[in-house]
Amino acid sequence: MILQKMQLAKIAATLVTLSVLLSACGEAEPQAAGAPPAMRRLTNEQYRNIVADVFGSQITVAGQADPLLRTDGLLAVGARSAHITPSGFEKFYGLAKSIAQQVVSEDNRAHLIGCEPANTAAPDEACAKQFFTRVGRLLYRRPLLPGELDTAVSAATAAAQTTGDFYRGLSVALAGIMTTPQFLFVVDTTEPDPKHKGQVQLTAYSKAARLSFFLWNTMPHAALLDAAEKGQLDTKAGLQAQVDLMMASPRLDVGMRAFFDDFLRFDQFETLEKDSVIYPAFTVKVVEDAREQVLRTALDHLIERKQDYRELFTTRKTFITGPLARIYRIPTARPSGNAWVPYEFSADDPRAGLLTQVGFSALASHPGRSSPTLRGRAIRESLLCQKVPDPPGNVDFSLFEESGTNNKTARERLTAHRTAPACAGCHKLTDPIGLGLENLDGVGQLRTTENGASIDPSGDLDGIAFADAAGLGKAMHDNPATPSCLVDRLTAYGLGRTPTSGQSAFVAYLKQSFTNDGYRLPDLVRRLATSEAFYAVSPPEPETKPVQAAALASQPQEKAP
Amino acid sequence: MICFGLSAVRTMRAVGLVLPMAVLGLCQPAAAAAAKTTTLGFVVRDWFTAIYNSKFIDECPEGLATSNDETWWRGLSKADRARLTDNGLIQNLNRMPTAMRRGPNGENVCLNPTVVQDPPMRVVEGKYSFGANLDGNTDGQASAKTCKHDNFTHPDGTPGIDNQMYRLIGCVYGWRRGGLPELNAHEGRGTSGLGMTLIEITGVTDPRNSPDVTVSFYRSVDQFALDGSGRPLPYSSYNVDVAKDQPRYGDSLKGAIKNGVLTTARGDVRLPFYGNYNFLHPTIRDMDLTLEIAADGSTAKGSVSGYYNLDEFLYYVGGMVGHTSTGDNCPAMYVAGHQLADGYPDPKTGECTHLSSAFNIGAYSAFIIHPEGSEPKTAKTAAAKP
Repeated sequence: MILQKMQLAKIAATLVTLSVLLSACGEAEPQAAGAPPAMRRLTNEQYRNIVADVFGSQITVAGQADPLLRTDGLLAVGARSAHITPSGFEKFYGLAKSIAQQVVSEDNRAHLIGCEPANTAAPDEACAKQFFTRVGRLLYRRPLLPGELDTAVSAATAAAQTTGDFYRGLSVALAGIMTTPQFLFVVDTTEPDPKHKGQVQLTAYSKAARLSFFLWNTMPHAALLDAAEKGQLDTKAGLQAQVDLMMASPRLDVGMRAFFDDFLRFDQFETLEKDSVIYPAFTVKVVEDAREQVLRTALDHLIERKQDYRELFTTRKTFITGPLARIYRIPTARPSGNAWVPYEFSADDPRAGLLTQVGFSALASHPGRSSPTLRGRAIRESLLCQKVPDPPGNVDFSLFEESGTNNKTARERLTAHRTAPACAGCHKLTDPIGLGLENLDGVGQLRTTENGASIDPSGDLDGIAFADAAGLGKAMHDNPATPSCLVDRLTAYGLGRTPTSGQSAFVAYLKQSFTNDGYRLPDLVRRLATSEAFYAVSPPEPETKPVQAAALASQPQEKAP
Repeated sequence: MICFGLSAVRTMRAVGLVLPMAVLGLCQPAAAAAAKTTTLGFVVRDWFTAIYNSKFIDECPEGLATSNDETWWRGLSKADRARLTDNGLIQNLNRMPTAMRRGPNGENVCLNPTVVQDPPMRVVEGKYSFGANLDGNTDGQASAKTCKHDNFTHPDGTPGIDNQMYRLIGCVYGWRRGGLPELNAHEGRGTSGLGMTLIEITGVTDPRNSPDVTVSFYRSVDQFALDGSGRPLPYSSYNVDVAKDQPRYGDSLKGAIKNGVLTTARGDVRLPFYGNYNFLHPTIRDMDLTLEIAADGSTAKGSVSGYYNLDEFLYYVGGMVGHTSTGDNCPAMYVAGHQLADGYPDPKTGECTHLSSAFNIGAYSAFIIHPEGSEPKTAKTAAAKP
């Protein structure tokens, strides 16, 4: 049954591919210069996904690595410049040790090791080699080099001799593998490009890794590595076949969820705090569900129903849970538990689109009140890819925050604030947008008044006036920067770096194609994943050579078996 | 300009369920609004017997009622006191099981209140009480539905207040304001989700002023949704307890809302109740409800009055655990209760079977969910509007 579904999905995906190709007829992908190869540290989510994919979801990953630095709007780009500090390495080592111990535990060894030692109290090189050959290929996203395999087996043997326990030996060596740069960093490995003398290209395994982390946010699965090994990713048809298969999988949701989590800066949810006296209904569960609601809405709209991306800002369809329903003040037949149920706000409801969801309005607010400035800035920076300068350090908040100023609403307070010339410039960029969401308090609950005064939710986005939150959603829908920003971010997310100037024509091509395709995200993802530019690399930059050298030195100079 | 209020009652099919919905929406034009009605819902959190406590306990001139433990203690010889309390080592609170089994054959006197005869119970003799004039007179004379009784005056000066439940328990230490039975029952309901009453007000044309509404009472099968300090969160949803496509409860009263205050006509209403490890299903006869709804609609407080079945009340008292600390004495209360009952005479004996009573309640706004296929009961009380 599942197979049939997969086949049907594959056929459907193939048809979609054909239609994309037909629709894009005459719009050839422009040639794009590649960027120098890089290495990206695994994100926490990627690390967890890999462990679950290789060893199963019963393995607990108890902890997380140091946070990444958001760069050019994305953590995925920041991962490129991530370093592992000594304390950060300790965390990775602690994780690896714990995972390795679980893998070889009595509960798991039978189905995770794949072989049994002749004597559990002594080394067994054959079994260890078999295990590391299989698992190492998945963890390193390529076959282990003979030297790497020998090192792992030797380490397992030595540790088994010391401890008198084959499995403890295996555990020590596995923890070692999981703390190597080859595992913790996704490294772009290159080889000479046979078609262009003097140029380099990504190895097939690196292509597989780039594709897999983009679509599924995890390491390449065994079949994809097989395809890489057979050279199938080096042909257009082979690559498209793999992309079609991966896009037809429910695991595409995992990959796109990771993208939107990064795109919308939802890592901030992990430190989100609200004043429980002011917002008693904003519980820990609401925080969790608010994040999930936006992602679920986006994936349903964009992936499941393949709708226009711009309509994400006007759609009234979403999903709710009991805790969220209390914030939205709507009924639900499932008031407790974790059940998600579809919900559609009525046409006369003030809520419409992603911006009016709790996940957005609560995140871009202060702990005890709303913030048109934070909301406006979040829209500008996250959704429109525009930079808003940081506030100066000497802002005089007394102008609008002190009691007795008679400024009851945020609009009044910010109007007072904007009288300061140093503040006016930036606040003009943010406040007229954010004021459109003032009918939503600091956690996204509807309100009509603030401190007894009526709220005026009108505003302006780049010269387009709107009356309320729904109007702001419409203005976002119509703003050309909205889809353009998505393309920019998705491209940077997939490449792991902000596109270079040599790739600008390719990005422009993607934007035009996105428009032609009716702003359908799956089409954009497919076009990007199957493009030549997505895998293009240039020789390492001279100034980055010392850094790259460390990574590349450990890469295959000898042919993998 | 957005204007939030409770908009039209609608039926929404979502995930295969039919939900009666009251949703926040835009203000309707006056003409349209007149044609539409909304529903208000509340979940009752606080349920306290209305007890009038004077500063110097003037309403109990001879002091508080003697508890079961005290009565038992007084009846023991010094030797028996030593024997039954392990030479005094078993302290007051821990000797409850021994003190309760003081029947002539070791019977539990709270489960068998007639096996011993205790001195008369001290009851309220004061002038004032909360409550309502249930029988319509101010002299307490008997009628076809009542037995002769003494009336109270409300602290606001209203005469003819009927509240014999207060008269019965108002001098019992544990039942006075802040006493253990009420607080323990209150906490138990709040944390267990048992005996939760839902109040549904339908036919609302304006949440602050509606001349003709129907008020229905249900039991919830969902527990309270609580905030970090243990208080119910407004705007939570609660499913109605249903059996065979009908609510297990569901009695209704007609009413009206004026300036945000709901008042109902009187009628018999069966309610769920849980307290002190006892489940009750009291039908409060001639019950009315007054509910003052907060301006933002998130909470409400008010009162209930009516005739409470004496047997059910005595069952509740008798079934409590911890009589030593409540100050109850079941045999004396059994006798006094039958003497003070003032409502609904038994046709055969002429003895009244109900106590006039009053309760203070507190509630939080709620969405009341009728599971698919279940239908609210038809209002069975068609009394005149209050």
